[in-house]
Amino acid sequence: MRVKLDAVLQSVNQVLLGKEPQVRLALTCLLARGHLLIEDLPGMGKTTLSQALARVLGLSFQRIQFTSDLLPGDILGTSVFDKDTGQFVFHPGPIFAELLLADEINRATPKSQSALLEAMEEGQVTIEGATRPLPEPFFVIATQNPVSQGGTFALPESQLDRFMMRLSLGYPGKAAEKALLLGDSRRNLLPTLQPLLDHRELAQIQAQIPQVRVSDALVDYVLRLVEATRTQAQFAWGLSPRASLALLAAARAWAYLDGRDYVIPEDVQAVLPSVVSHRLREQADPAGHGGGSLVQWLLREVSAL
Amino acid sequence: MSALQTIPRISLSWLLVAQVLVIIPHLGHLPPWIIVLWLGCAAWRIQIYRMRAGYPNAWAKAGLIVAVVVGVLLSRGSLIGLDAGVVVLIAAFVLKLLEMRSRRDALVLIFLGFFAVVTSYLFNDSMLAALFSLLPVTALLAALIGLQQSALAAQPLATLRLAGGLLLQAVPLMLLLFVFFPRMGPLWSLPLPKDRATSGLAESMTPADIAELSRSPALAFRASFEGATPPRSELYWRALTLEHFDGRRWSQAGAAQLERQPSWEKRGASLSYSIIMQPNSQRWLFALDVAETGLEGTRQLSDFRLQRRQPVERVLLYEAVSWPESLRQMQLDAASLRRNLQLPAEGEPRSRAWGAELARQYPEAEQLVAALLSHFNREPYAYTLRPPALGPNNVDDFLFETRSGFCAHYAGAMVFVLRAAGIPARVVAGYQGGEFNPSGNYVQVRQFDAHAWVEYWQPGRGWRSVDPTFQIAPERIELGLEEALAAEQSFLEDSPLSPLRYRQLGWLNQLRLSWDNLNYGWQRWVLGYQSAQQLKVLQRLLGRIDSRSLILALVGGGGLLLGLLALWLFKPWRRETDRQQRVFRAFEQLLARHGLRRQPGEGARDFAQRAARALPHQRAAIMAFAQAFEAQRYAGEAGSPRQLRQQLRALRRALPWRLSRIEGEH
Repeated sequence: MRVKLDAVLQSVNQVLLGKEPQVRLALTCLLARGHLLIEDLPGMGKTTLSQALARVLGLSFQRIQFTSDLLPGDILGTSVFDKDTGQFVFHPGPIFAELLLADEINRATPKSQSALLEAMEEGQVTIEGATRPLPEPFFVIATQNPVSQGGTFALPESQLDRFMMRLSLGYPGKAAEKALLLGDSRRNLLPTLQPLLDHRELAQIQAQIPQVRVSDALVDYVLRLVEATRTQAQFAWGLSPRASLALLAAARAWAYLDGRDYVIPEDVQAVLPSVVSHRLREQADPAGHGGGSLVQWLLREVSAL
Repeated sequence: MSALQTIPRISLSWLLVAQVLVIIPHLGHLPPWIIVLWLGCAAWRIQIYRMRAGYPNAWAKAGLIVAVVVGVLLSRGSLIGLDAGVVVLIAAFVLKLLEMRSRRDALVLIFLGFFAVVTSYLFNDSMLAALFSLLPVTALLAALIGLQQSALAAQPLATLRLAGGLLLQAVPLMLLLFVFFPRMGPLWSLPLPKDRATSGLAESMTPADIAELSRSPALAFRASFEGATPPRSELYWRALTLEHFDGRRWSQAGAAQLERQPSWEKRGASLSYSIIMQPNSQRWLFALDVAETGLEGTRQLSDFRLQRRQPVERVLLYEAVSWPESLRQMQLDAASLRRNLQLPAEGEPRSRAWGAELARQYPEAEQLVAALLSHFNREPYAYTLRPPALGPNNVDDFLFETRSGFCAHYAGAMVFVLRAAGIPARVVAGYQGGEFNPSGNYVQVRQFDAHAWVEYWQPGRGWRSVDPTFQIAPERIELGLEEALAAEQSFLEDSPLSPLRYRQLGWLNQLRLSWDNLNYGWQRWVLGYQSAQQLKVLQRLLGRIDSRSLILALVGGGGLLLGLLALWLFKPWRRETDRQQRVFRAFEQLLARHGLRRQPGEGARDFAQRAARALPHQRAAIMAFAQAFEAQRYAGEAGSPRQLRQQLRALRRALPWRLSRIEGEH
């Protein structure tokens, strides 16, 4: 099974050049049943990454371009009256896909944003009194432009907390960019990707990940990390239990990807920046953006053993 | 010069501070040129540190050494002996500053400093001096610690705190060694500094000598009694007897005859007391009549004084028992009789005539003595420390003309008249009275308590003591010299600042007595804790004394103390309870010795990989340990810490024996 996962990584890396760590983290997030927030400038390959992942994992893919006039119904779907049957027939929205790319989520109004985010949390949507389950697996990759850009509604902290990870792709390296410029268009490459996993296999893997062993000593380390965010003065607020659960789940998936059936502190450290940085704010700047330096502090100062 | 060899700034600063503190107690007995030399060397050394001056070359060094040798020879007359030796030591201590290039030199200087601190005890063993010596020792320790720090450390106070902590930790061990370590006789005898001997009674006496002593408030000895202290009028501390009169001066008769066994008969109640005597460079001890002591090397001579084989050169503690009502020397041989009837060949005609007349008038010796005493009492004799000058017939002049003087005059004149009347008599010199310290329950006797009184002998009754001074100035005996001289205001007139002059100020007097009590305790329990005293204490503590129990107490006590100290320092109750963790700490310590320190946030695997990169030859052993640790700690694999320890041992074997620093790793 891990061989297949390695092939998945390899395939995606062929399309998205020079972003191995981010691809690995994105896959980790997916395997841990988390949702992913990619924050970057336009044109950095966010969509490419989502589509590539969807293809190689054999998932149905939908994309919603968030705009300021997007309504919740545009996401969830609406009931339309069928003249022939004389009944309202539900037309599912794009959310009923296995991998949903919510593009530029921060351009939509908070009302539309929350329609998606509630669905992400609960795994089901309730429309006009009827509760409809979302497909399994259900994986959201939301992208957003950096908050500083105009015409955006920044996600509030409570919404950010629902994403397991926040990634930033960043500029490609020189060699990667050269290969990109010399090679085929990414859009043309995507259809060449073959699905490497089917639903059954993906579900199997996702079921195995909670079995990855977490020892007492490791939980103690996670607790020390969480404790530090709650007691140290430089943190505006501490991590929630949801965050510590997400951290552990992500660390398990990372260890699984690494071919181990147990988690070591290095796994936690590998996923820590992407799992907690969007959940932390500096005391000096509580309205600021992310806690990159706080995460570095955690990695450096909290005893790993 | 490599970085390891330079002397850190902290160490140098502490060394200079320590040098000041080491030399201060020596200032009193060092020739002034040493101070000049010292200041010069210190300034030079500071300039060297500031790179404004170079180290002296061989010629300069040789010149300095020759100058010091000449200086010592000129100021002390010799290069050997204690006085000169200390000067040489201090000079070396000072000059070594200029030669201090490497750590080794600084070490030499520090140990020289410790030695110089010890030598200062030879000159002053008072409590204050001992407490002061803690300061230079602390500073020297701080310098020693600073020497081990890197050149970049810049916290002199932290160094001092550590030095103080070390000293404090040494205190229990010091106390143990003080109590239990056997006091061995000296392997060699050290001639003590000569200028230390204070004034005191001498082997011969003129009235002027006693008058000289009366001006000195220096301490002669302290005595504490078991049970109630007798009234001061009964405290006649005998030192020596003066039997020979040459017309001006009373002196001891030939010493050879004195060493016969005295004959006496114990009578009445006994008094037990202990005496702490200040050094006086004489061989006699002070005691009430008639005393026995268990002090080693001490005998009772035929005139009932206690005499030691060695002069008293340091504070001496001894215990004695006295029988004041004893009968002394019922029989007197012809030679003794002759000695105690001796008078100068000529002179003092009136006194001789008066003696002969008294002898006719009073055939009984008791009556004669009583008549003589009542004569002193009745006639207008005066007690003064400023007697008028006496002519060549000084006894005559005193008895019949000036009629004023003090104890030495009265005792000398009375013995003269008794001898002229045919009664064997002699002068006894010693101290009378003393000041009772109620808080310490002891009597302190000072030089101004020096006194002379009279003994006469009668067949069948032995020697009897009488004190003519009591007839003239009873307050001298009952209240002390100060009261006797109240009218004259001559008490300690040469020492206007002596606290003894201000006894009427209650608080000052209290302070003085308490301070004296402290010093008494120091002398009694610290300086006086010598072989006999130690034996007594140990007997009380251990029951019996043999080398085995002593060694057991010393080693056992030392082990116990060090164990407690180690417990306190290592705090095993705070020890890592997690056994895997403990092995990992050992792993960390092992690698730390090779310059690899784990960052707190560094996991076992990351750390091991970094270590493996730094120590590629030990890669296999390092990774094996890390994997075993990881497997046990995180993968839940069965395994005991012992296996980890085996891995660690393998790594230890694989690592080079020497401590090595890895470049670029920190």
